[in-house]
Amino acid sequence: MIDAFTASDQTLDQVIHPVIFYLACALGAVGVAMALPRRGPTPRVFGGLAAAIAGGLVMLGFALRAGGGDGGAGGELPGFFFYVFAVLALGAGLRMITHHRPVYSALYFILTIVASAGLYVLLSAEFMAFALIIIYAGAILITYLFVIMLATQAPVADDEDALSDYDVQSREPWMAALTGFVLLGLISTMLFRGAGALPRAPEVTGNEALAELPRKVERALRRAPGGAEPDGGAGLIAADETLRRVGENRADIDLVARTAVVEGPGGTRVVGLPETLVSTNVEEVGINLLRDHPMTIEIAGVILLMAMLGATVLARKQVELEEALKAAQQRLLGDTMRARGEDG
Amino acid sequence: MDVLTLAQVGFPERMSELTLMHYLFVSAAMFAIGLIGFVSRRNLIIMFLCTELMFQAAGLAMIAFGRYHLGFDGQTFVIFVLTVAAAEAAMALALVVLLFRGRESLSADEWREMSG
Repeated sequence: MIDAFTASDQTLDQVIHPVIFYLACALGAVGVAMALPRRGPTPRVFGGLAAAIAGGLVMLGFALRAGGGDGGAGGELPGFFFYVFAVLALGAGLRMITHHRPVYSALYFILTIVASAGLYVLLSAEFMAFALIIIYAGAILITYLFVIMLATQAPVADDEDALSDYDVQSREPWMAALTGFVLLGLISTMLFRGAGALPRAPEVTGNEALAELPRKVERALRRAPGGAEPDGGAGLIAADETLRRVGENRADIDLVARTAVVEGPGGTRVVGLPETLVSTNVEEVGINLLRDHPMTIEIAGVILLMAMLGATVLARKQVELEEALKAAQQRLLGDTMRARGEDG
Repeated sequence: MDVLTLAQVGFPERMSELTLMHYLFVSAAMFAIGLIGFVSRRNLIIMFLCTELMFQAAGLAMIAFGRYHLGFDGQTFVIFVLTVAAAEAAMALALVVLLFRGRESLSADEWREMSG
């Protein structure tokens, strides 16, 4: 353990000053513990304020190390929108766990989701951002809201005494906050210690899906303005020429030089790809999912099927009653039919 | 690089390690908030919402790492996380409905006496 600790020279100190970081963790723990709901007067405002100051301290610590002065990690800070979305996500998450009423908790969680979708867009994961909003905020959270409205009584105005005890009184807030923030401190320490040791990214960035999309490339080459051939029509390749295919669904494209091999009656030649021809995020994610992780889809399908069956079996009670009723009705109907048959 | 070209090009340029650390800290803090809520709140629905918050934190970390390494595996696995979260929500809400039908209460403590 000690060896593992001293073996690498990567420390927390590269990213943020340890004193600032652990101080912020302690302050955050106190703030969250104060803000958790309980009966009687709650120092909720002070708790929220303490948590906010803790978050600000951490960000300040990051910014101080950003200059790269005394052995800092260096590198540029994220843009302004990162801070907006991060504050929204964490603040709404905090309000979610500290609110008395489940409906408001669910609504604050939707805010967290939307803010996370903003962070996804900043990380150029556009498809996942929209999928997140549609699936989480549109489907899962609405289901939660339905169940909350089914299973809770409407509270009277702002009267806290009318709320159920299990909503107003939290279980051991101080211990919970302490555990949570000790975990946060440990996870962050481990993450930040490896900061300098991360492998660098490969040089080829994105656009790898283009080789798998011959139809898209061919269409773009045909439509591109400024033909390479004087009499070759409008596009970069003539009407009787085609992109050379390799195997079932790959095109002969050099992604580094951004050129494609074209075949036609006049022989093969090399055409440069237009600047605007790039693979989109959706294409990249789709090809990654279907080419590299086909098993994931199968497992996801099995999980969803199991969940559907499980939920149906668990919440079955009413259906059973209806079936019993239907059986009784059928028996009654059969009896009357038989009686009529005997009469006739 | 402005926002419009960022959306078109996909992965424009490398992200600095410090930026990655910012995202990872937000993810870790979100996870901690979810954990605190899960441990301290007594309403079953809120507890399950807190697990969703923890899923969300994991997804953010995956996408941030994927962006740093300029790959798409992180985004692919967030699809998987969404699937698991949806399945979990369906099961959890079925359990909640079951509990509420029997006890008229959403307190997690009610499960203590619920055998079979």
